[in-house]
Amino acid sequence: MPDKMCLTIMSGSIDRLTGAAILASGAVSMDMEVEIFLQLWGVYAFKKDVMHQNMNLSEFGELGEKVAQRIQELKLPMWFELLKQAKELGKVKIYACSLAANIWNVKKEDLELVDDIIGAGEWIEKMREGKINLFI
Amino acid sequence: MSMSPDELKNLKADKVVDARGTSCPGPLLAAKRAISSVPVGGILEVLSSDPGTKRDLPLWAKKMGHEFLGVIEEPGYSRIFIKRKK
Repeated sequence: MPDKMCLTIMSGSIDRLTGAAILASGAVSMDMEVEIFLQLWGVYAFKKDVMHQNMNLSEFGELGEKVAQRIQELKLPMWFELLKQAKELGKVKIYACSLAANIWNVKKEDLELVDDIIGAGEWIEKMREGKINLFI
Repeated sequence: MSMSPDELKNLKADKVVDARGTSCPGPLLAAKRAISSVPVGGILEVLSSDPGTKRDLPLWAKKMGHEFLGVIEEPGYSRIFIKRKK
């Protein structure tokens, strides 16, 4: 069985989501499985009506425009495109936290790229098997 | 075992992937995609302008059971050679 990386994503800001997506792509390239658990703002960022409009940056806000410009110059795909690619190339599962899904009043169908809605207990069990576990 | 620059220059790659202009992890993903179209025993050459790639790809090759042959530095980019082993 290949090694597994688990990312718990609480943040919904695109700088952190981009960092998470790059790690997910890297892990898939290195032949690892990836599982992602979205919490509050993470779930919000995966909402179909939010994903493509989200320009929120959590840190160094005044630099945000410059970063966005450099991302374009470097031809770096958007974070959700990186995740889509990673899903095509390897085993990547994305779960939304059931509590967050309740807070936003969303079902799986309202979210993009999300495979299932699960609870904290199940996620803990998945993380127990993770070789790399990160909270973002 | 890495090859010398002269030996590398004489290699004929079975497939060349030009990942210049993409940033990490683009070249790594490009290598992962391309390796399946190289015959076992054949050589994949990856062109990358991202400075991380020449350190990423040897680790990737080791992990995947392929052989890292070496790097030729060109102005502004690297040519990285991998032999598909399985």
